[in-house]
Order: sequence, then C-alpha cells, then structure tokens
Amino acid sequence: MSIPGTRVAERVAESRGFSLKRFDPSLTVWIGAALFVVFLMLLPLGSIFIASLYNETGFSLGNYLEVFTEEAYLKAIWNSVIISFWVGIIAVAVGSLLGWLVTRTDLPFKRAVRALVMASFVTPPFLGAFAWMLLAGPNAGLLNNWYRAVSGLDSAVFNIFTIEGLIFVMALYSFPYVFSMIANVCELISSDLEDAANILGANRWKIALTITLPLTAPALIGGFIVAFLHSLSLFGAPAILGLPAGIHTITTQIWALFQYPPRLDLAAAFSVPLLLATIGLIAVQKKLLGRRGYSTVGGKGGQKRLLKLGYLRIPALLLVLAILSLSVFLPYAILLKAALSKAWAMPLTRENFTLGNFSFTFFEYSDTRAAIVNTFKLGIITATVGTLLATLLAYITNRQLLRGARYLSFFVLAPLVIPGIVLAVGLFIAYSRPPIMLYGTIWILFVAFLTKEMPIGFSQTESTFKTIHPELEDATRIIGANRLRALKDVTVPLARSGLIAAWSFIFIGVIRELSASILLFTPSSKVVSVVIFDLKEEGQIGAIAVLGILLLGVSFLIILSVQWLAGRDFFAGGRG
Amino acid sequence: MATVFLHGLTKKFGEAAAVDRLDLEIGDGEFVSLLGPSGCGKTTTLRLLAGFLQPDGGEIRVNDKVVSSASVLIPPERRNMSMIFQSYAVWPHMTVFQNVAYGLKLKKLAGAEIAKKVDRMLHLVRLDTLAGRYPGELSGGQQQRVALARALVVEPQILLLDEPLSNLDANLREEMRFEIRRLHEEFRITTVYVTHDQAEAMVTSDRIAVMHQGRIVQLGAPEEIFDRPRTRFVAEFIGKTNILRGKLEDGRTVALGDGLKLRVTSAGALARGDEVFVCIRPHNVTLTASAAEAEAARRNGLNLFSGTITRRVYFGDANDYIVEIPEQRLNLRVVAPPAQRYEAGQKIFALALPEQCVLVGEE
Amino acid sequence: MKRSVAVAFSVVLSLCATLASAQDAAMIEAARKEGKVVWYTSLAIPSSTALAHYFMNKYKGIEVIVNRNGSQRVLQMVMQEAGASIKNVDVIHTSDAGHFVLLKSKGLLAQYTPKAAEVFPAGFKDPAGYFFGMRATLSVIAYNPRIINDKDAPKTWKDVLDPKWRGKEVTAHPGYSGIIMTHVLAVVKQLGWEYFQELAKNKLHIVQSANDPAQVVASGERPLGVNGAEYFYYKTMKQGNPIKIVYPKEGVPLVVSPTAIAKDAPHPNAARLFTEFILSKENQQILADKEGLYTGHPEVTYPKDKPMLKDLKLWAVDADELEKRNAELKKRFTEYFGA
Repeated sequence: MSIPGTRVAERVAESRGFSLKRFDPSLTVWIGAALFVVFLMLLPLGSIFIASLYNETGFSLGNYLEVFTEEAYLKAIWNSVIISFWVGIIAVAVGSLLGWLVTRTDLPFKRAVRALVMASFVTPPFLGAFAWMLLAGPNAGLLNNWYRAVSGLDSAVFNIFTIEGLIFVMALYSFPYVFSMIANVCELISSDLEDAANILGANRWKIALTITLPLTAPALIGGFIVAFLHSLSLFGAPAILGLPAGIHTITTQIWALFQYPPRLDLAAAFSVPLLLATIGLIAVQKKLLGRRGYSTVGGKGGQKRLLKLGYLRIPALLLVLAILSLSVFLPYAILLKAALSKAWAMPLTRENFTLGNFSFTFFEYSDTRAAIVNTFKLGIITATVGTLLATLLAYITNRQLLRGARYLSFFVLAPLVIPGIVLAVGLFIAYSRPPIMLYGTIWILFVAFLTKEMPIGFSQTESTFKTIHPELEDATRIIGANRLRALKDVTVPLARSGLIAAWSFIFIGVIRELSASILLFTPSSKVVSVVIFDLKEEGQIGAIAVLGILLLGVSFLIILSVQWLAGRDFFAGGRG
Repeated sequence: MATVFLHGLTKKFGEAAAVDRLDLEIGDGEFVSLLGPSGCGKTTTLRLLAGFLQPDGGEIRVNDKVVSSASVLIPPERRNMSMIFQSYAVWPHMTVFQNVAYGLKLKKLAGAEIAKKVDRMLHLVRLDTLAGRYPGELSGGQQQRVALARALVVEPQILLLDEPLSNLDANLREEMRFEIRRLHEEFRITTVYVTHDQAEAMVTSDRIAVMHQGRIVQLGAPEEIFDRPRTRFVAEFIGKTNILRGKLEDGRTVALGDGLKLRVTSAGALARGDEVFVCIRPHNVTLTASAAEAEAARRNGLNLFSGTITRRVYFGDANDYIVEIPEQRLNLRVVAPPAQRYEAGQKIFALALPEQCVLVGEE
Repeated sequence: MKRSVAVAFSVVLSLCATLASAQDAAMIEAARKEGKVVWYTSLAIPSSTALAHYFMNKYKGIEVIVNRNGSQRVLQMVMQEAGASIKNVDVIHTSDAGHFVLLKSKGLLAQYTPKAAEVFPAGFKDPAGYFFGMRATLSVIAYNPRIINDKDAPKTWKDVLDPKWRGKEVTAHPGYSGIIMTHVLAVVKQLGWEYFQELAKNKLHIVQSANDPAQVVASGERPLGVNGAEYFYYKTMKQGNPIKIVYPKEGVPLVVSPTAIAKDAPHPNAARLFTEFILSKENQQILADKEGLYTGHPEVTYPKDKPMLKDLKLWAVDADELEKRNAELKKRFTEYFGA
C-alpha cells in the first residue's frame, strides 16, 4: 500500500517542481486575452438566446410563434431579404466591374478612382441615405427639381422613399466591399494563366470570360454574401428612407420593438433567425472559398499585363465617375449645400446663405458637444484597446500559443456575422442589470464597438503578423527575451504600419457606428451618429449636414495621416 | 562550457514522427553537424534543443540537467543558448549595433560594457565600420555576420545554427564555412549545426550525424562518414557514388553475378548469402585503356571491370565518364583527372582497390 | 389709523416679499451648488435650446443639459433608466399627458407645487401636485402656398381625405410624438378610426416628430401636412418659409404638455428652480413671443397674427384615457400606415 502512495507523492513533488520551472508569466496574458474575448462574445449571444425563450408567462416558444405569424413582422423579414438580395447583385456588378477595371486594365486615373471608392467606403450609409433623401425626394429632391426644370414635366424621376430607392442607396455603400475583394483577387491572377489561354488561341475578351471570370468566381460569390450581409445589418438607411414610406426591415423592426413599452423578448426572438441566417451564409461562403480558394489563383511571382481598353478607355472612365458621383460627389455636394443654407431646398443665394447651422450645432445645441466628446473618446479608446487586444489574439492564433487557438479565431471573427443591432439587443439584456451594469454609461458602447470591430482589427493584425518571419522572434527569445518581450521589442515594431491601419479601421468604424448605438445610448451617453439620427427625426437638416461633414472630415483626416504615418495605401491594407 | 545529451528524443507532428527515438551525445566544445535531406528531422531536432518545441518522448540534458522532456520544458530564453537562423532573422528595425547589443541589454549589462563587447565582436566578424547601418543596407553575407555576432556576443553555452548559409550565393557560402570554423576555434562553444550540404558539414564539423527519417543513421568524423558509409543512404547522400548490388560470399568477396567477384572491405555483421550493396566512389576508380596494365593490376588484387565509355563530360578540373559494363547491366561513374582523355565508344578497363569498395547495408 | 393699517399692511407685504425672496435666494444658492439640471424634453430642438439659454443667462453657473427627443422616446428613456436604476434626469417634459399618469403611478415623479403654477387654470395642474402644464400646443393642418393655392387648400379635417392629395401629404407619428398621439386620440374620438383608414389610402409620407412636417411642407417635398405642431409651423413660417396654417373649424386638438420633477432627480434644487422658471410669467411670455407657443398662464399675451385659444373650438383629451390607450393607438396607426 505504501509504495504507490510514495510514488504519487514523488510524482506530485516532481510535477510541482517542473511546473514552477515551466511557468511562463506571459501565459497568463494569452489566456486572459482569450478568455476575455470568449466572454465578450458569449454573454450577449447567450443573453439573446435565453431572452428569446421567455415571455411574461415564463419559458415559451411564443415569441418565435409571434415573430413568424404576425404579418407585419413577416413583411419586415421579406423586405430585408428582397432588399439585401438586390443590393448583393448590384454591389457585385458594380464592385467587380470597378475592381477589374482598376486592376486589370489601363483605365486612366486609377489612384483617384481607388481613393473615391475608399471615400464611398468611409461614408456612413445613414449619411448617404440622408443625402439621397435631399437629392431624390420625389417633390423637393434636387435631382427631381432639375429634371422638372429641364423637361418641363410635373412628374418625378426618382422616388428615394421606395424599396428600389433603398436598394439603390444601400448598394452604393456596399459595393466597396466587393470592390476590395475582387481587386485583391484580380491582382493575384498572374498573366501567365491568361497567356496560357492566349497561346491556345483565345482572344482577350474570351480570356476575360473563360479564365479571369471563373478564377474570380469564388470572390464574386463571397462578395455577394458580404454585401448581402452588410445590407441586412444596416439600420440607418432603411430607417431614414424606408420608414417614411411605411417600409419596415428586420433592423428597423427590432428597433421599433425597443420602443416603449419595450418587447425585449420579441426583439431577441427576432434576432435569432437573423443570426442563424448570417451564420449559414458565412458557412456557405467558407465552403465555396475553401474549395477553390485564392490559393489556386496564387503565384505571386507572375507578372500582370493590363488589358488595353482602346477606344473604350474614356467611356469606361466616364462610367466609373458616374457611379462614384452617385456615392460621393452628389451626396457630399448636397450635404455642403444643406450645411450652408437656411432652406436646403432653395437655391444657395446670398439671402439663403448662412453659417447659422454651424454655430447652432457647435455652440447652441447642447447635445452636440457632449456627443462629439463621447464619440472621439470612444473612438480613441476602442481603437487603442481593440488594436491591443487584436494584436494579442492574432499573435495567439498566428503562433499557435494555446491549444485550440484555431477555435479562438472563430470567436474573434464571430461578430462579423452578428448585425450590430442584434449585438446591441444582446448587450442591452446582458449589461443593463446586475451584476454587470454598463447601461447608462459610454462603456456599454465601448463593449459593443470593441466586439463589433474586433474582426477587422484581428484580420488586419493577423495578416500583418503573417508577413513577419517567426524566426525574427525566435532570435529574440533564444538570447533571453520571453514571449511578451519579443512581441514588444520585435514583432510590434515590425508590424507597426499594420497596427496603425488596424487602429484607424477601428476608429473610423466606431465614429460612424449607428445600428448598435441607437439601442444602447442614454441621454448622457449619446454619440454623434445618434445625434444625427435624432436630428433627422425632427427634420433639422442643416445641423445634420454639419455633423455629417464633421464625421467625414475627421475620417479623411485619419486616413490621410495613416497614409502619411505608415506610408501605405490604406485600401490595400485590407489584404494579406 | 556544456555537454549535451539527447536520449530517445521523439517529436510527432500528428501521427508522423519527425524525430524518432534519437540518441546523441555532444561533448564540451564539440562541433557537431546534423546532416540530412529536407524532412529528415534535423531542424526539428535543433528546435527541440532550443526549446521552441517540446518533445513527446525522451529527454534532452544539458550538463546533466534535464531541459526538455515530455513534462519539462525550460523556455528558450532561459537556456543560455544562441541560435542562427536560415533567414538570418536580423531585426530590420534595429541597426547593426542595436542588433548585437540586444542580448546584452536583456542581461541588463551596463551601457559602457555593452558597447565594449559589441565593438569587440563586430571587429571579430569584420563589421566594425557598419555598426550604424540598418540590415536593409547590408549584403546577405554581412547580415549573416550580424547574426553571428549577435549570437556569439552573449557568450552562450551552446550555439545552434539552422542552415545558416543556405541563402547565400556559392562563393560567399564557401567563405563563410571557413569563417564559422574559425570562430568556433576562437570560442570553442559547443555547437550544433544543421545543414543539408555535406561540404559545409565536412568543413565545419568535428563530427557529423547523418539523419534519415527522424533518426541518426551514422555518426562520426567527416572522413569516416565519407570513406566508410555504413548504409546505402549515407553513401548516396554524402558525395557521388556507384552502388553495386550483389551477394555476400564470405567476409571479403561479393558476387555480382555473371561470375564477376568483387573483393571488398569490412563485411560487418552481414552473413554469407545476404543481399548486399557495394559503394565505390567515382574518384576512387582508375581507368586504363591498356589490357596489360589492367591485367597486372588485377593480379595485384585490384577489382577489374571492362566496359565501354558511353559519355564524357568535361568539368575543367576533371573528366566525368560513364562506363557501361554490359555483363552487369551497370553504368559505372568515374571521375578522372583532366589529362586522362578517352572518347565515347572506346573500350576501357576500370580498376578499384578492395579497401575502397565499401560494403553498405540497405538502411 | 387707516394710514397705520396701510403701513402695517405694506410692512407685512414687504416682509412677505423679503421672506419669499430669501426663500428664492436659498433655492438659487442650493441650485448653484448642484451646478446643473438635466432636462428630458420633447419641446422642439431650437425652442428647448433657446429656453435653456434664457435660463442659463438668468441663473449663471447652472447649466441646463437638454436632451430633446420625441415624447414617446423621452418616456422610453425615462423608463429604461429607471429599470436600470440610472439616476440622470431631473426634469421631464413631454406632450403626452398620459405619460405623467403612468410615471406618477410608478412612483417616478416627485411632488412639488411650483409657486409660479398658482395662477394656472385647473386643466394645467395635477391636483396632487406632481405635474403642471408648461405649454399648450395645437395640432393643425398646414400647406405650402407656393404649391397649393389658398382656394384649393383644405379647410377641415375631412378635406385632407380627398384622393386629389394622394402622394402630397405628410403625417407625423404617434409612436414618436406625444402631440400626434394626442391628435390621434382626439380625432378618433370625434371622427372615428374610419378617418385614419381613409387617410392612409392617400399614401402619406410618414415622419416621426410633430415638428418635422414643417420642414417637409416648406421644402415642398409634401406640400400638405395633415397634422403637426402648430407652434413649429408658425415658427418656420415666421422665418420666411412658405407655410400657411389651417385651424379647422370642427375643432383643433389641444395638447397640454406637462412638466414634472423626477423622483430621483440628482439635482433636485436646480430642478425646482428650473421648474419655477419655465412656469414663470416671464418665461411663459417668451415662449409665446419667441417660440409661438400657447401657455396656461392667464396673463400671457400672444402675437397678433395668431388666433386666440378662446376663439377656437378645442378638442381636449383626458390624460388617463391617453395613458390607457397608448399601445392601442400606436398599434392601429402603424397597421394603417405601415410603419
């Protein structure tokens, strides 16, 4: 009897000795970061799920029953699906055309085109929707007025307050996602692949059709899914353009369910199918991309020759500029006009000109200053903490520091498929009651933004880490630095430009965020996007335009500083 | 000052064992190369030594202290080792001086002392004038010297080198081989050197461990490995060789079939009747066109083959021939001095000393 | 004798006044210590901002934090914060009198009878002393005279049902605005739900705030507003925008918008001072002059180009009924109009 006992004692002593020797202080950091992000994700999602299963009578499937039988709710779901489908189609058409033109042809002014696509990307869709309300309202819309003046007719050509109008505007601000995906793939296709077909006798258009297009097919489908999901999760645009015409979507309906008396249980039940649908679509995309991924396109060495557009060169440029004028020039121009006029629909004459909107917005309206402070505070804090956390997490998964690191990246990327408003429902339920009381402070917004922006920060830093040879760190460790020290002294400085880009992506993401903020703000924790939305509801056009210009201005300032600081093309930063 | 002892060392990736029950003992101040083709487990062994990987079985002891086993893993930073990497891994955001000084800073040495040590080391690797440069401004060879200096300046117990020269061009590579050996003689640090290039191993090492499929197949001094390869794999991997298949008759004779018998050296543990291989190095074969000369040599105990030249390639410092021996359905490769010229189609006799016909096992 | 009585009387009076002003001074002092007052209000942004500045000019050192939102949103905020035990709001003001019935029953209001409220008529005072009518708003019809000529313009509520207005009308939403909530109840009681059922056929443009139709009508996006806050139409018109207001003869919904102090007000003294201020004759007169509002204060005078309330037929609604039917009104309106 005593022998096994001694043995155990010995073993314990041995293993304790070992574990002390083995203990790596940086391990606590890795585990801490991993647990934090898992917690960050699971709590809101779990809360939604549980809340959806309870109504006032206790445990029940009644909420789901109500969501799927009430006609108004079904209509909202249907609207969302229809709108997102067409947004996906249009975004793919426009995004891939532009992406292809910019990467594979001799289109002139490519840099400018890229910059303008980026401007569309940075423009918050709710601001775009607001601008288009001024441009294409059926009666007072600027474009319709021009049309009437030119044609002499008394009808309108555009009515933005329709499903079609909504699709149009949402597509304008979704196509940049497809653009970047297609542009990246097109840049990877080496001309060798095309030359191979050329030798076999295919002409250049046939090559484009039979070689280039199929090679980009996974990206096209992926782009469709991304654009579909993006528009599914938008709140501001449908609220601004849909609600006036009595059109509800899933997101506006969830928001409406938060109105007094709130139906959190229904909002939760409404969120779950949306969540499942997005997860399903992402799974489809993964499968498609997994089978015929970019790797088959591969071959970074191959050089690329540009297709000569010939006599189509100028018409192609005009087409591109026309598209970008819809997403950038016209909306920005009308915002500027609205900001500077007393009556936005009147011509900008001397009598109509005013700086009053600026002074009202910045000096009189008390919400503005607090909201601006909150917004930038949140932007800076979220971007900083987010980049730090993303760095740790990307490091863990990239260097496989923990067992199951692969699953960790699943958690980190999960918010990609969670519409902001759904996340907000979860966060509201999770953090508006003890033990964790964040509602009523800006910290609930911080948690929301951190969660929501984690995927972009993570993929940005991860792709940066991939480019840093692990031996550079090994070299640090073998001469006496622990992992954290190696990360600090070598990896992070080398990843600098990638990390700055991640910081800016998060910052811009935060300052334009509306769909989560709209459920989580309280009067003492308003952000600029929420103030804009409030102002919209009361029709304070001038003040909205002023705040919109502020948001855009700051975003562009950030981007320019990043390009200057990191010496890189911001848009190119998205790829690995 | 350190001895290294690897015992039963095993590392699996998934089901496959990259390192398979490997045993190796390295003496204090010794320079040992792990030589083998890619995938043989040599780099894995080195990373196990460094502590970047944890073994699944067996153990590594340094100065009789276990540093790695399935349950123990002293992290790399506490092993007092240095390593030089295939990619040099010179930190591009630090100057040459900062690169070399980094390890000393970690040891919390005073600034003046660091400067003194770094300067001395840079002088030793002949980089004194480039201390302020960034690695991007250096050539590959200079970067490699930075890596060397950085590894040596911390005065490690053990120095690990992972294919340090494979990214250099041929001339530089040759120069650096001698440089590495020179520095070893200067510091006498226990060194493990991983390479797939036999010439590197030969120039630098006290002993070479030839690895194959996760195990050491032969361990010995360079000459021993080259002249007395123990297996067909070692014979073929180290230098060019002819491999002849036959049956062992007795300890000194191998029947090649068609009545041709070869007198060979060191039968080892092989038994009569065993299927065996004979290794003959191309430069150990002499050619002659004279039948009389050949006959005389045969009577002196040399092995004789008669055949026809089928190909000649001129290398400047040597002629490389293929001699076809029809009875054996064998093409014998022969390297002869440049002065010995024979033309394709010419009848020829090939001679080899029995002590240079080495019996090797299948594995 | 008479004289001494008079002297004594005046002494007593002035003593009272001194006492009163001493009391005022104490209140102001306490309010200054608190430094600010947080006001959740449904009064239009420009008007509430202006009012805050009047107050801040008078009582330097006390900041007014204005959180303007639709009445229903203000209630939602108050209830959500109460649910999460967040103590932020001091003074609550919406245009849905039903809200105050609800808030009072939930124990979320503080009892405080402002001295300034003494002169107000009964319809503007909660007998229990929890809330007081800060302003009176009418919900009216308005049109853009550049697009609709006066001859064609509707004169009555029923006139806006005419199919010729299809695609030309704008309505605000009871799910957001207390004024429109009151409007809907008043109209439903007079004309029945058939009225809204019929109206919805004209495919109205739906905005949220009762103030938003003014901008929509003025810009010509929809030239006819079938409801909306009269003071905001009036104010927008006064800024030179093309707007004409119609006060239907059948009756005009009257919205009394109460103000109350929150039970857990973090700045109770400032809240009281602010309440005294907004109900004071001085401020009520400013509201009438500058913001185009009607008030309950009997001594306030109104601009010449606005009708007197006594000349209009007013449709008032009962606060209790408003509270009870809140959900029903919203739901049916949403059913008819889609959002």
